[in-house]
Amino acid sequence: MTVPTTQEIAVRVEGMSKYYGTFHALRDINLTVARGEKIVVCGPSGSGKSTMIRCINRLEEHNAGSIMVLGTELNDDVGNIDEIRREVGMVFQHFNLFPHMTVLENCVLAPMLVRKMPRAEAEATARRYLEKVRIPEQASKYPGQLSGGQQQRVAIARSLCMQPQIMLFDEPTSALDPEMISEVLDVMVTLASEGMTMICVTHEMGFARRVADRVIFMDAGEIVEEAPPEIFFTSAKSERTQLFLSQVLGH
Amino acid sequence: MFKLLRNQKVRNALLQALYVGALGALVIAGTLIARQNLAAQGITSGFDFLFKSTGWDLGFSLLPASANDPYWWYFIIGILNTLFLGSFGLALATLVGMIVGLAQTSANDLAKLLGRTYVDVFRNIPLILQVFFWYALITHLPPPRSAHEGWGMLLTSRGLYLPAPNVGGLALLAASLAVVAAIVLPIWLGRTSLLSRPLGQRFSVQLAAVAAALVCAVLFLFAGRLPDSPLLDLPSLQGLNLRGGLRIPPEFSALVVAIAIYGGSYIGEIVRGGFKAVGKGQVEAASSLGLTPWQVFTLVRLPLALRAMLPILANQYVWLMKATTMGIAVGFTDFFMITALTINHSGQTLEAIGILMAGFLAINLSLAALFNRINKAIALKGNQLRG
Repeated sequence: MTVPTTQEIAVRVEGMSKYYGTFHALRDINLTVARGEKIVVCGPSGSGKSTMIRCINRLEEHNAGSIMVLGTELNDDVGNIDEIRREVGMVFQHFNLFPHMTVLENCVLAPMLVRKMPRAEAEATARRYLEKVRIPEQASKYPGQLSGGQQQRVAIARSLCMQPQIMLFDEPTSALDPEMISEVLDVMVTLASEGMTMICVTHEMGFARRVADRVIFMDAGEIVEEAPPEIFFTSAKSERTQLFLSQVLGH
Repeated sequence: MFKLLRNQKVRNALLQALYVGALGALVIAGTLIARQNLAAQGITSGFDFLFKSTGWDLGFSLLPASANDPYWWYFIIGILNTLFLGSFGLALATLVGMIVGLAQTSANDLAKLLGRTYVDVFRNIPLILQVFFWYALITHLPPPRSAHEGWGMLLTSRGLYLPAPNVGGLALLAASLAVVAAIVLPIWLGRTSLLSRPLGQRFSVQLAAVAAALVCAVLFLFAGRLPDSPLLDLPSLQGLNLRGGLRIPPEFSALVVAIAIYGGSYIGEIVRGGFKAVGKGQVEAASSLGLTPWQVFTLVRLPLALRAMLPILANQYVWLMKATTMGIAVGFTDFFMITALTINHSGQTLEAIGILMAGFLAINLSLAALFNRINKAIALKGNQLRG
């Protein structure tokens, strides 16, 4: 793998640690993600994978080490945090749509308030992205009136409306019924093929095989293994990775 | 026959019939006994007394009243006084509760402690004690001669004297209605489908409505101005007495303060609960989109918390409305006190209590109905998944 230049680096995490009280949740995380790269993070529950990506847009505060996002250092500077959040979209396990706003309002809210986009332009953008996630007809409905898969696609569209440069996915299909998982994954595959920088925490190994440039395996707050999918799934070095894979792919 | 009795529907119908029959018998028996006892004591029952003049004066009244007025007029005054006291008490209690609730949910430890202490202290002292405390405090203020002065107001043991506009009663009423319109219009405009378009446009329409209503209020005040007098009538000391201005009697102030502070502690807990009920996920989503903390608060946390609070808040309002009956403890002529005086003077106990109960039922059922409407109007659509 070639070493990316500063210009091409989307996220650089160096020696990052995170504690919850005395619990050491993340230990010495080092990770560099180039622009356009697709990373899949997997690992057993409680391994710190969600915590790690939540640190990248400061939903969690890291206690040691450094995080650079698109050349901006993530620290206590509120301006830096705002700048990074504008450029980093996030999709959550439980969708987290605003239940008191219609789908369209969910999508135009941030572009209008944060990007100061005029209403008409924000609505046009929103409709374009709703088209892209294949639910343009639901624009005037409320989140509670949609299925889980539809809600998650709205959540993806809402993030995309901010036209972010990086997308974080935190177990986007874990709360979905089996038949809805593929509709969400399809959208994510399309997004990947268009060159979006993506960091996905997911257990969808099929998605990882198909889309990921690198798969990262975490356990007990550490990055245990990091490899391209063809190597990761066939010849993982660590025993812990092999055990995890045998459990996930076993049946 | 026995087979019929084993039929579920027949059984239910039979039980219902028995229940209604027993209830009817009870009411009839009660009425007959009451009538017999009243006749034995020489009291004529009925509502004829409502049209007799009362023969006693009122301490506080929003409408003109004299001892020659009939009882029904006094009841109306009583209901108005209760509503007047209630609306001030409820509004201030909500304000206090908002502050206390937000302090408790804030990240600041000192604010949290203050909010917690407030709730613990004022929620655990009986309301009547608090009414007495504030009444004692206010009536121990200095006499008119050495009144506290500031911003044209006078604070004395006889009450709070405020500058009053020199405006006719009708104009004052019109102006107050315009102010109410300034509050109601934007809410109504926000709900109508006619204007359910772009957030930004809707906001400017609402703003225009508020401005128009407030301009109307000012115009009414100027139009109804009494000729040859300054716009404001300032209270001043003349001899041993105070002249001019608007007097807020100590009974009223004590009750409003007590209801606001006591109710505020309960509403504070409701507000805290409402904010606790907002999913962490929605707040995280809003922050991750780059919204500022203020935007997250006004557009996500507050609207969702309000929906969680409303049903319990309605309950609390109904409760506080009933707490206005504390008026009798300090001599404020609310609905309850007027009923009590009526009973003393006319002896029509059952009728007067019947009117009191019907009146409170009407007030509180209207309040509950209003809140149910609001609740339904802003309810979240569809199934809610708790993240």
